[in-house]
Amino acid sequence: MIESTVNAFQLGTTGFCTCWSLVSALKSGKRPWLLLALASGVFFLGDLYWQLYLLFYGMTPPYSYIPYLSWNASYVFLFLLIQDVRGLRSRVPYSRVLWLAPLFSAGMFVFYMQRGDWIGNIVSSILMCLLLWYAGDCLFLWRNPNKRGKRPLAWILLGFCLIEYAVWTSSWFWVDDTLRNPYFWFDALLSVSFLLFPFALRKAVDA
Amino acid sequence: MNYIENVFICLIAPLLVAILCFGGRERRNLLFLLWGMTACLLSSYISTFLAAVQGADLKSASMEIAPLVEECLKLFPILFWLLIFEPDRNDVSGCVLMLALGFATFENVCYLTQNGAESLLLLLIRGFSAGAMHVVCGAILAIGMLLLWDRLWLRVAGTAGLLAVAVTYHGIYNILVSQPRAAALVGYLIPIVTAAVLWFFGRKLLRMAV
Repeated sequence: MIESTVNAFQLGTTGFCTCWSLVSALKSGKRPWLLLALASGVFFLGDLYWQLYLLFYGMTPPYSYIPYLSWNASYVFLFLLIQDVRGLRSRVPYSRVLWLAPLFSAGMFVFYMQRGDWIGNIVSSILMCLLLWYAGDCLFLWRNPNKRGKRPLAWILLGFCLIEYAVWTSSWFWVDDTLRNPYFWFDALLSVSFLLFPFALRKAVDA
Repeated sequence: MNYIENVFICLIAPLLVAILCFGGRERRNLLFLLWGMTACLLSSYISTFLAAVQGADLKSASMEIAPLVEECLKLFPILFWLLIFEPDRNDVSGCVLMLALGFATFENVCYLTQNGAESLLLLLIRGFSAGAMHVVCGAILAIGMLLLWDRLWLRVAGTAGLLAVAVTYHGIYNILVSQPRAAALVGYLIPIVTAAVLWFFGRKLLRMAV
């Protein structure tokens, strides 16, 4: 019951983000809006597939290729989005702190490999590592006062990745269908991040 | 026995003759139509094989394996064509749609041979809805590719993402139409409504690509 409620909330937030971004893309003709619409739209479709399966068959999809494919595609579109907003990178050296991203992703990969499947974990880890790296890099690049308006987008993307890791990790240790399970709270927080993306992108596009 | 291969040969024979007679854009469109039908035949083999390997039942095979296999088989020739022949971006959408049409046509013919042609209403709903679903999946790929055409990395990563959109959309359709009554009706209506929305907003979206 709680899982369905959290899923419904996520469907609402991702649907809101998709509609807002699509309308903004049609109005402004700017590609970052289209990329955000695709990122949230494919996340919405993955959630919808999962929820419909749960609703009609009372269980999660046994093979789960399709929802995981769509969630990974959402990370791909978020990666394209941050690339597009950043534009061509100036010849500034990369900060050493950024190496924490591959280190963290590799550590989590080893941890998840104890139970998960190889291909899915490799793909998710690479995509998450790229997102963490680019979000961190953009935070350094956009310290400049006239680019500060873009920073909220990088912060939200960074938060999104960390919450996603929290969701995955909590699903390892807690399995009960009650509100005491932190998985549901992290999942709800992940849903809230989709509400924040359009506002951050509007600031970034205007900056 | 369905004799799906015999039906396939019967359908493609006139197309093959036409491909030899035509040239230029017409020939290319017919080739994509032909590949769409071939992809449908191949996907039925591959889905059956994968379902057997995974030990999946009919329900899991049609909802979880078939959409993935079908959309991949529709995309691969397009990717091959894009990467090897580097066509003009304006030609892409037409070819993707021809491929989707070929796939939908052959799938409908297979449905007819399996289930008969007695109920006109059911065939109308099924024909329009499955046809629209394949066209919508093709249109998602075509419009998306045109919008993400600028740079190679954008094209490659974007195409992979768009494939996921098409696969999930297809999967949702398969889940809904396999349910009784209202859910099936919603499933049948979704592609038609999406096709109408894409037709309405597609041109506006495509203007972004220019």
